[in-house]
Amino acid sequence: MGNKTILIVDDDPDIREGMHVRLKYNGYDTHFATDALSCVAVALKEKPDLIILDLGLPEGDGFHAIEGVKGHPTLRMIPIVVVSARDARANQERAIQAGATAYLQKPVDNAEFLAVIRKALGELAPGEKPGETAVIA
Amino acid sequence: MKKKAALQILLVEDNSADARLLREMFRKERPGSFQLTHVSSLSEALVVLAKGGIDIVLLDLGLPDGHGLDTVRRAHAIAPGVPLIVLTGLEDEALAAEAMKEGAQDYLIKGEIQNRALPRALRHSIERQRMQSETDLIRTDQMQFKDEFLSHVSHELRSPLTAIHQFVTILLDGLAGALVLEQRQYLEIVLRNIKQLDSMINDLLDVTRVQSGKLVIEPQYASASDAIVYVVNTLQGAAKAKGISLNIDIELGLPMVCADPTRIRQILVVLVDNAIKFTPTGGAVEIKARIFGDDPNLLVLEISDTGCGISPDLTERIFERLFQAPDPAWAGRKGLGLGLYICKELVTLQGGRIWAKSVLGQGTVFSFTLPVFSLPKLMAPALLQEGRGAYSITLVTTELGSRTGWLSDEVRAEHCHRVRDLLRRCLYSDVDVLLPKMGSSGAAELFFMVVVTDAVGSEAIVKRIREQFNGREDALHAGLTLSTSSRSLQAIERNANESSDTFLERAAENIQAMMNEEISSRMVGHGQ
Repeated sequence: MGNKTILIVDDDPDIREGMHVRLKYNGYDTHFATDALSCVAVALKEKPDLIILDLGLPEGDGFHAIEGVKGHPTLRMIPIVVVSARDARANQERAIQAGATAYLQKPVDNAEFLAVIRKALGELAPGEKPGETAVIA
Repeated sequence: MKKKAALQILLVEDNSADARLLREMFRKERPGSFQLTHVSSLSEALVVLAKGGIDIVLLDLGLPDGHGLDTVRRAHAIAPGVPLIVLTGLEDEALAAEAMKEGAQDYLIKGEIQNRALPRALRHSIERQRMQSETDLIRTDQMQFKDEFLSHVSHELRSPLTAIHQFVTILLDGLAGALVLEQRQYLEIVLRNIKQLDSMINDLLDVTRVQSGKLVIEPQYASASDAIVYVVNTLQGAAKAKGISLNIDIELGLPMVCADPTRIRQILVVLVDNAIKFTPTGGAVEIKARIFGDDPNLLVLEISDTGCGISPDLTERIFERLFQAPDPAWAGRKGLGLGLYICKELVTLQGGRIWAKSVLGQGTVFSFTLPVFSLPKLMAPALLQEGRGAYSITLVTTELGSRTGWLSDEVRAEHCHRVRDLLRRCLYSDVDVLLPKMGSSGAAELFFMVVVTDAVGSEAIVKRIREQFNGREDALHAGLTLSTSSRSLQAIERNANESSDTFLERAAENIQAMMNEEISSRMVGHGQ
């Protein structure tokens, strides 16, 4: 079986590249999208196992992307991990309610980042805990 | 030229001779330029003011239903935008001057008012009030702009910082090839500075919240010792790396506090982190917690270090916003000067006080107090109402549960805040009491409200709460349940010679017993 694939949705090319390097090293394949519209389009084409989503996006913000994915019959089971510079206190609850699986605030600790992704993909080892600031619904 | 509408004047004067005299003065003005409404009591005046449409008030300070300056306060409170001119006798000029501080624009001394001067004084007062309102508006606008600007900038700074953090850690973790020792050391310096920049950005955001009043504090039945242990675990590594011992000294049987545990940790992290920073290798940092000697209703937490110390004339100024130490020993790495300022805000918002004592070259002790959790004290607004001797008390319990019989910490944290918010809307904030979180069981989260009412009244409250929650269940996670019930206690009477403290204590015991019953009945229910 091949590697699991992760769709990275972020309008900042450097941050996309940084995530790509980190994820590739940990055995994941990546795809990219830069806004809410292309997020759904790329997700439909590539059928990723997980989506990493920024909130501050052009062409409709990250919440539109969550709606688009969660409202689509073939995409709605894909877990979404929000990674945003926006304040967790103000946005975390809204994102989780819209259907995101977890919320991480930039800049993200790498160990926590990977633990949250592995948990969302159902890969977390028994007894292993994701970082304290992450919320896993 | 367009004709101006008549100026609406409200004359509040109980002395009919004085009123007639003033009316005469306006009669000489151009017809249609002034419209005078005359009332002779404060209560009538308040009704007219509440309706609106008045341009200026002429207010006598000797009204039958007014008490001196209080008359001005009440009139000003009901129509803060309407200029007020106080009318007074010659012997009360000092009082009239005081009235200006309470919001009056001007004062006129009866018997000394010249005919033509009155309309002019009125027009000037209205103009001054208008200019003042405009200035206030501009100031509010500027404050809001500054808040939004700071918040925006802080967010935008996080993105490039994220990219830097990503690639530095990619290099450090060897994802782009092996590093030689020096390269690794230098990258670790970069990483340390990134972390400092990140905490500065968080401080900036907290400060904007302080200034816009958005800093959220959720007081609850909390343990100060737990917070101390958490902070020591978090910072033990940093202390060890610098060769500093980090110790705890907690008084045995320390009472619980009424505070927000996340905020206690936040305060402690800043203070302990500072202490480590300013203490040389081989030194010691200690966190003590005990009942405050000056006031047993407070707990005091002390963070002491053996560092460079602060000059005594600066121990107050260090809590000021943007404070930067002139002392070279402090200047090694300046922060934004916001950490201690935020600490002070957080302590004050929770009903405590923070201060520092220091001897140069020997070390510093930072102390802050937090209120001890006291049920009698929390009950005071409900149980010390004026003119009441007996209280029918009802305990209203709302349970946030889960169909699976288990609430995870994450779901708990996320929804408790929301439930409290909704409950708060159902109570009369000045007399009903929504108790802070009182600890929880695994199966459910309980929210207690103490209401002074009998069984009939309590039904109405339960109904109000259910309506408030109705239709909001889908806003909660699927699988969560909400239920509200009430339980009335026999009327508690306050004995004639009983002090309020003894009475509160007695009532609190009854309420505590009732809460314990609620909690244990649910434990049984879930065990079945």
